[in-house]
Amino acid sequence: MSEPAARAAGVGTGRAVAGFMARYGLIVALVVMEAGFAIVEPLVLSPGNLLNIVQQTSYIAVFATAQMVVILTRGFDLSLGTCVSTVSVAAALVMTGMVAANPANLPLALVMGVLTALGIGIAVGLFNGICISVLRVNAFVTTLGSFNICFGIATTISDGRPVFDVPKEFSELMYSGTILGVPAPVVIAIVVLIGIHLMLNWTVFGRSLCLIGGNPRAAALAGLPSRRYLTMAYVVCSVLAAIGALMLTARTGSGEPNLGGNVTLQSIAAAVIGGVSLRGGVGSAYAAALGALFVTALSNGMGLARIDGYIQQIILGCVIIAAIFVDRLRSGVR
Amino acid sequence: MAEDGRNFESSLPDYMSEPSGNLLELTGISKRFPGVLALDNVDFDLRHGEVHVLFGENGAGKSTLINVIAGTFSPDQGRFLYQGRERRHLTPHQARVMGISPVFQEFSLVPEMTVGENLFLGRERARFSFLNKRAMSSKAREVIAELGFNLDPARKVVTLSRAHQQMVEIAKALLTDVRLLILDEPTASLTEAETIKLFALIDRLRAQGVGIIYVSHRMGEIKQIADRISVLRDGRKIATVMADAISDTELVELMAGRKIDVLFPQVDHRPAETLLEVSNLTLASGIVRDVSFHARAGEITGIAGLVGCGKSELIRAVFGLVPIAAGTVRLFGKETTSFDPASMLRAGVCYFPSDRVAEGLALARPIRENVSMAALDLPGFARGQLLRRNEERQTVQDIVDRLRLRPAQIEPAVGRLSGGNRQKVVLGRGLARDIKVFLFDEPTVGIDVGAKLEIYELMKTLLEMGAAIILVSSELPEVLHLSNRVYVMHHAQMVAELTGAQINEQAVLACFFRDENQTAPARQAAPVPAGATVA
Repeated sequence: MSEPAARAAGVGTGRAVAGFMARYGLIVALVVMEAGFAIVEPLVLSPGNLLNIVQQTSYIAVFATAQMVVILTRGFDLSLGTCVSTVSVAAALVMTGMVAANPANLPLALVMGVLTALGIGIAVGLFNGICISVLRVNAFVTTLGSFNICFGIATTISDGRPVFDVPKEFSELMYSGTILGVPAPVVIAIVVLIGIHLMLNWTVFGRSLCLIGGNPRAAALAGLPSRRYLTMAYVVCSVLAAIGALMLTARTGSGEPNLGGNVTLQSIAAAVIGGVSLRGGVGSAYAAALGALFVTALSNGMGLARIDGYIQQIILGCVIIAAIFVDRLRSGVR
Repeated sequence: MAEDGRNFESSLPDYMSEPSGNLLELTGISKRFPGVLALDNVDFDLRHGEVHVLFGENGAGKSTLINVIAGTFSPDQGRFLYQGRERRHLTPHQARVMGISPVFQEFSLVPEMTVGENLFLGRERARFSFLNKRAMSSKAREVIAELGFNLDPARKVVTLSRAHQQMVEIAKALLTDVRLLILDEPTASLTEAETIKLFALIDRLRAQGVGIIYVSHRMGEIKQIADRISVLRDGRKIATVMADAISDTELVELMAGRKIDVLFPQVDHRPAETLLEVSNLTLASGIVRDVSFHARAGEITGIAGLVGCGKSELIRAVFGLVPIAAGTVRLFGKETTSFDPASMLRAGVCYFPSDRVAEGLALARPIRENVSMAALDLPGFARGQLLRRNEERQTVQDIVDRLRLRPAQIEPAVGRLSGGNRQKVVLGRGLARDIKVFLFDEPTVGIDVGAKLEIYELMKTLLEMGAAIILVSSELPEVLHLSNRVYVMHHAQMVAELTGAQINEQAVLACFFRDENQTAPARQAAPVPAGATVA
């Protein structure tokens, strides 16, 4: 979306064009981009690869949705990546430990693994949320701190090594399994997206997040319980991160202490590219999903076009900055 | 300037021999803000060595005019001649370089830096590209001593009182070679002794040929230091008069003018039971001290006062936005204990802020959400956590129709609306739930005449429904025409309650200006140290 929307707004060919690009620019850019990659490498548009893109998207979509919930409130979560690592290692340790103790305990082990993940998500979210909304430490500093705390925990409990032998039933459940022919990660991502969509549009909590992000002082004057809702936003974010962490753990079949390396940046990038405004108050599950699709398609296409991995990093960095620039333009159009 | 230590008394008539022509000459200046014509074809000139007072009500255009002169705003139309040359696209920096030094009411000081550092902010003295701290601090001491202010250059600005910050601001303006000094209500926070020193300084500057634009509401000091007075009203210049040729009464009449009475609807007040009773309220910040008032259902209770008198903080405190130190608030006969917006809304009290962009609206969100945002706890909008979006849409559409929002849509983002429509959206909140006490804080600031009238009509309707309305406004005609009873606040205190025929402009203005007239220091010859360097 970045290039065409910027040009449309810049040339001033009319608000209608600019408005159209603000709304559908990303889809146009996605189609143009895929067409471009297809010229270099026709395999990009093969059914197998398209399915692959959709599968890959489901992970980033969950993380982008998590990030979107807090960006909506004018915050963000830098600790998302290391929270993912902590959850991955801890859940893997619980499952392998319980199965090693008594192989017959497998179902209970899986349940405990998932509960451990959710518990850690809630704890990290409460920590971030309370620091930010009650102690009024800003989101950047708070989540940078918890980024380090989570990193330390993940490394310590795993001794810095991957936790192997995660039960293969777990991977079948959350990675290779299908429901009505749809791969499990895609099902989970769709459930998450629909759930968050309903939360934002049909609950007082979700509506309040939009209003608090739109204007915190106005929300306070309207009597909204800002502190409580803000804390809950961070809890939702970290719980979604934990769900994503379980999906990734199932995919690799091991608990990885550096699983979340790129996740923070990718999730912020996907949310912003999708159209979630860093100034708060504007965002949707749809935007997070679309942004995730774009980021995934971009790296997938670059990979197939045999663009060097480090060059890919440079391009992703530029796209993020371009997306934020477009967000500025869009706020003018709106 | 004055480095030769010339005798100031003898140089008093010196400005007659200054370069001929005016220091500043503005012709036909207009400045438009969205929805408001802030300056309408204003002519203004300033001579060398003259104190020219700008006089007018809040919103008359004084601030806009001095901001144009200081280069903060660029005029839409008109000629700007300074020292005989036309200046276009003036920036604040260029203006300062040319010798135009403004002292605004909003301070431009860095709180965490010392007085000395603030004085030299942006023009630090350096030796071998290191800050020459010793030179700066001795110069700072010199300037402060010269001004006769009691200030320690080593103190951090954040630890100073407002009055002392004002002095730093003035010292800062005088540090450069000043040709034109703008003072915007400089005495608002000064004590009498400090005011005397400031006036002595103004006299010295005047003697040196500096042109001074002085904005003030205080009749006493205006008569004391002004050479000429220009009166502004509704963005137009009404008159420029010689200060010694006009009486106070004439001046107030010029300022108030003959207002168009048809603008205000006829309001039928039917005072019923007392809904809100505030007794001996004092705020933690001290900006309101020992204030009592009450508001009854079926009448508009006006609170008039100059900017900064505490009238706005008073109703903000009632709504729970500002901490209360002492006093009681009784709502519907019961004493209130929990002061926070949510409890107040539940009790039927709603506050409508004057700064709608900062405090009222989430601009990126739709009109619908902005109207319903203070009512999401009601069964009409949500069942527990579950929003009832159909009911919400219906209710908000009804409210928007009633308020005659144009266009009567509920889904566009509020950021797209004009000032008047934005205010209607904020007011819509009061209709979304059962509100009995309406606290209006400057309800018509920054909106056009048509929308103003509609908001007055809305107040009228609310009264008929049995509401109590408290109208806090700096726009005097509004308070006078709409209120059944008018309280006047001055310097943190309630100084009068006017009813019936007492409600008129002269009575209110008398309350504003009374104490200044009594306590204003006599103009005196300035004791000037020889060899004084101000620049």
